[in-house]
Amino acid sequence: MVSEKEQFIAPPGLTSLHWLLLVSVFVIATCGLIYELVAGTLASYLLGDSVMQFSTIIGVYLFSMGIGSWLSKYLDGNLLKWFIRIEILVGLVGGFSAPLLFVLFEYVASFRFILYTLVGLTGILVGLEIPLLMRILENQLSFKDLVSRVFTFDYIGALLASLIFPMILIPQLGLIRTSLFFGLLNIGVAGFLLYRFSETRSFRAGFTAVLLASVTMLTVGFVYAERIMTYAEGVTFQDRVIYSKSTPYQRIVLTRNNRELRLYLNGNLQFSSADEYRYHEALVHPVMQARPNAKRVLVLGGGDGMAVRELLKYPAIQHIRLVDLDPGMTSLFQQNETLVSLNKRSLLSPKVQITNNDAFSWIRQDTARYDVVIVDFPDPSNYSIGKLYSTTFYTELEKRLAPDGVFVVQSTSPYVARKSFWCIRNTLATVGFQTIPYHAYVPSFGEWGYVLALRNHHWRVDGPLPTGLRYVNTQTIRDMLYFSPDMAEVPTAINKLNNQALVQSFEEEWAPYGQ
Amino acid sequence: MDNNPDLISRREFLVQASAGAAVLLTGAATLSCSSRSTSHIQGGMVGANHQAGHKLRNIPALYKLPISERLTTDVLIIGGGVSGLSARRWLNQKGIRDVLLLEMDAKTGGNAAYGKNAISAYPFGAHYLPIPDLRNKELVRFLEEVGAITGFDTKNLPIYSDYFLCHDPEERLFINGFWQEGLVPEMGVPTSDKQQIKQFFQLVDEYKQAKGADGLDAFTIPLERSSRDEKFRQLDTISFASYLTEKGFTSPFLQWYLTYSCRDDYGSTLETTSAWAGIHYFASRKGQAANANASSVLTWPQGNGFLADQLRAQADSPIRQNLLGYGLQRSATGVTVQACDVATNRTVVMEARKVIVATPQFITKHLVQHLMPERSTCTGFHYAPWVVANLTISGLPQGRGLPLCWDNVMYDTASVGYISANHQDLRDNPNKVITYYKPLTDEEPDVARRRAYTTTYEQWLTQILDELEVAHSGITAFVSQVDIWVWGHGMISPSPGFIWGQERQQAIQPIADSIFFAHSDLSGISIFEEAFYQGIRAAKEAMKAL
Repeated sequence: MVSEKEQFIAPPGLTSLHWLLLVSVFVIATCGLIYELVAGTLASYLLGDSVMQFSTIIGVYLFSMGIGSWLSKYLDGNLLKWFIRIEILVGLVGGFSAPLLFVLFEYVASFRFILYTLVGLTGILVGLEIPLLMRILENQLSFKDLVSRVFTFDYIGALLASLIFPMILIPQLGLIRTSLFFGLLNIGVAGFLLYRFSETRSFRAGFTAVLLASVTMLTVGFVYAERIMTYAEGVTFQDRVIYSKSTPYQRIVLTRNNRELRLYLNGNLQFSSADEYRYHEALVHPVMQARPNAKRVLVLGGGDGMAVRELLKYPAIQHIRLVDLDPGMTSLFQQNETLVSLNKRSLLSPKVQITNNDAFSWIRQDTARYDVVIVDFPDPSNYSIGKLYSTTFYTELEKRLAPDGVFVVQSTSPYVARKSFWCIRNTLATVGFQTIPYHAYVPSFGEWGYVLALRNHHWRVDGPLPTGLRYVNTQTIRDMLYFSPDMAEVPTAINKLNNQALVQSFEEEWAPYGQ
Repeated sequence: MDNNPDLISRREFLVQASAGAAVLLTGAATLSCSSRSTSHIQGGMVGANHQAGHKLRNIPALYKLPISERLTTDVLIIGGGVSGLSARRWLNQKGIRDVLLLEMDAKTGGNAAYGKNAISAYPFGAHYLPIPDLRNKELVRFLEEVGAITGFDTKNLPIYSDYFLCHDPEERLFINGFWQEGLVPEMGVPTSDKQQIKQFFQLVDEYKQAKGADGLDAFTIPLERSSRDEKFRQLDTISFASYLTEKGFTSPFLQWYLTYSCRDDYGSTLETTSAWAGIHYFASRKGQAANANASSVLTWPQGNGFLADQLRAQADSPIRQNLLGYGLQRSATGVTVQACDVATNRTVVMEARKVIVATPQFITKHLVQHLMPERSTCTGFHYAPWVVANLTISGLPQGRGLPLCWDNVMYDTASVGYISANHQDLRDNPNKVITYYKPLTDEEPDVARRRAYTTTYEQWLTQILDELEVAHSGITAFVSQVDIWVWGHGMISPSPGFIWGQERQQAIQPIADSIFFAHSDLSGISIFEEAFYQGIRAAKEAMKAL
C-alpha cells in the first residue's frame, strides 16, 4: 500500500500546481458550505420553523463530515483516484439535492428521512475531501504549512459561500440552480485533477465517460430548473410557494411563511394552518354534538381531510365517505408529510373511504343513507360550483339522509356576501329543510357562515363535545347562532339550476374584495 | 371552467413546434398555408344515408329487385321521424296495435338525430323544445309522461324537471370582442339601434297578445290553430325583409339579430322568409310554468333525440329499419306498398288498410307518383341545406366576458353558433362536446346543396375552425374529434306565400280515405311541436277511417 502511494510523483512546476490544488480546496470548501445552506434553506421553505431547520441541518451536516473524516483512514491505494471519485459523487449528490428534495416533497410520506439522509450523505462525502487532499499533499509540504494553507483556503471558501449565497445566488439563480451549479464546480475540480496529473492515464477513459454523463445531467437539470419550480407564482402569492400543481380540475398551490402554511385552489385561499382549526371545528362540531351517535357520515368536498380529522374525534362513527372531485387533492393530503401532520393522518384512517368523483353525479347514483353530511365545497364563484348549491342538489342530498339525518353547508361570508349567505339558507328552506344559520370568526377569512339543515326540529346546542377542542364549546355554539344587524337576514332569490342566482350575487358581493 | 394558461401555452408550443416541423419536412410550398395543424383531429363525415333516399329517383330500378317477403298490417307508417313516431304513439295509446313503421335509415328520430362518445351525447339536429302553451294539451300530456313535467302547482301550472329545463347561463353573444349575456346585441350598440330593438320587441309583444276577429290567437303553436283573420294572414304574402323596411326597422344590429333568428329557426334569410313566419318565431311562445318563464326551453345532451326516443318507447308496435318504402298503389283492401331493404337490396311487399306517409314532401312525391302524378310538380316546398358538426374539445380558450353558455353565437359569422352539449350534464368536466350549426344560406338551396355534397371533410374542417378561431384563438389545439353531418334537406323554409298558400293545404289532404300525410313540412315550419301535431292529426284521421 505504502509503495503504491509513493508512486505518486508530483509533476514539474510544483509550486504552481500546489497553488492549483489549494484553489481546489477553496472551491470544494465553497461547494461544501453551499450544500449545507441549500439544505437548510430548503428545509425552512418546505417545513417552516427556520431556526429548528437550520440548527438540525447544520448539526447533521457537521456530524456527517466527522464520519467522513473518520472513514477517510479506510481509503488506501490510489488516493488521487479516490479523490476524483469522491468529487464526482459530491457533485452529483450535492448538485441534485435541491431538485430531488423539491420533487420528492410531494410524493414521500417521510420527507424528513429523505432530507436528513441526503444531508448526511453529502456531509460524509464532503468530510472525506479535506483529509484525502491533505494526505495527497503530505509529501509536498511540511505538516505545519500543509495544515495552515489547507485550512486557510477552506475557511476563506466558507466565508465566500456564506456571503454570495444570500446576496447573489438565491436572488439570481434560485435554490435549484445554485445547487446544480455547485455540483458542476465539484465535477470541474474532478476534471481538472484528472487531466492535470499524468498518473491518472490508466483510468482516464472510464472516468471521462462518467464525468461527461454527470456534466450533462447537471446541465440539463440547470436548464430545466424552471420547470421543477415555477417562480412565476412567487409574484402572485405573498409567501413562498412551496408546492404547485395543475390538475385537470384546478391549480393547487401551497405557500409558507414563518407562521403558517396556506392552501390555495385556483388562487383562492382554502385554509391557513394558523387558524383552520376554527373553520373546521365550527364546520363539524355544531352538527355532530346534536347527533353524537352518528355512525355513517358523508363528506362532500373537503379533500384536505381537515373535516375528517374533526369527525374522527367521535368514536361512534363507523364509516366516513369522502367524495372529492380531484384525486390530486386527496392524494396530496394522504402522502405529503407536512399536510398529513396537519390533518392528523385522517385520510389514511381505515374508517375513511375516499371517492374521487363529481359530487353531483355521485350523489345521484349513491344508494346509502347517512346520519350526518358535511358539505364543504369551494365558494360558488363559478357556474360549475354554483350547481352544487342549487335546489336540485339539495333535493338529491335529502334522499341520502337517514330519517333523523342532518347536514351542514359551508356558506361563504355572511358579512362580505350577505345576500349569498342568506340565498343558501333560503334555498335550503325552499327544499323543505329546517335551517339553523350560524357563523364563526376565522382570522384568515373573516366572518364565516354555515347553514345546518334538518328534516325536523330535533336539535340541541348542549350535546357532548370531544375533549381537546380549541375553539368550539357549548357557549361558542350559542354565540355563533346570533347574527349582528350588519349580517342579519335579507330576502333573496332561490338558487336553481336555471337561474344560478347565487353565482351572480356572489360575484357582485366579492368583486370589491378582488376575488 | 378555468383554463390553465400554462397548459395552453405548452399545448400551443407543441402544436406550433409540430406545425413547424411539418413545414420543414414538406418544404416551402406549405408556408403559404395556415400554420394551424389539424392532423391531430379525428373524425369524418357522418349522417343519414342520402344515397338511400336518392334511390327513389330511379323507381323503375327498384321494381326489378326480387321480392323476399310479404306482410299485412292495419296501419303502415312510412317514416320514423318525429311525426311518424308521434302517429305511432297515438295509435298505440288508442289501442291500435297492428301498426308497422318503416324507416329507411338505421335509426329512427329523423332530424332529432344524435351521437354519443366518452365525453357526452350530442345532437346532430334539433336540440331543444320551448316550454309549451298550456292549451297544447297533447304536448303537455306527453311531457308529463316522459317526466319532463313532474307535477302541477296549486294554480295548475306545470312544474318542469330541473334536469331538463335549460340551466343558467343560457345564451351569450360574441360581439365587439366581448362575450355578452343574451343574443340580442347590446355590447357597443348605439342608442338609436337599441331604441329600434326595443320597438321591435314591443311590437312582438302586441302580436303575442293579439287575437283575430275569429277570437283565435294571431300567432300560436301548432300554427294551424292561429287566427284566420286576413289582417294577420296577409303578412304571409310579403317577405320579412319587406316588412321590416316598411316598418322602418333599419338598424343593422336589429337586422343582424332577425337574420340570425330566421337562419337559426328556418335556415332562410330575411328575404326568403315570410313576414308571418318571421313574427311567428317571436310571437308564438306562450308557455307557462310554475318554475320557469315563457322563454324557457327544455334541452338534453342528445337534443331532441331524447324526445324521439321517448316517443318511440311509448309504443310497442313493430318498427322495420333500413326499409325504404315506395310505389304506393290502391288495392282491394287498402293500399299496397313496396319497400326496398337497403341492406339486402330485396323487396318487401306490404298490404295495409291505411297508410300514414310521414316523410318530407321531396320524398312523398316519389312514393305517391302513381296515385298523384301532379304532386311531383309541387314547387312551394323549399328545404334549407345545413351542416352540423360536433367538436370534442379539452378546453375552450376565449376572451373577455361570460363563460361558456348553452347557446353561443358569434356576431356576423357564417354559422348560427354552437351549443354546449354537456350543458345539462351536472358533472364538472373540462372536456366538452360543442355542436356547431351552419345553415347554408349564401346561395340558392339547390346550388348550396350540391356544393355541400361535394365539399370534403378537410374543407368543412378548415371553414369551421377558421370561424371558431376568431372568438376562440388557439381552439384548434384543443380539438380532438370533429364529426360532420350534412343535411341536404335540413328543414322546410317558410318562404313568402307558403304557409297560408294553397299548396300546403292540398298536400295535407288524404288520398281516398286510405293514405294520410304527416310531416312538419306540412305546417311550413320545422319544429318538434308541429311534427308532433301533424303526426297525431294524421293518426286521428287514419283511425277514424279504419
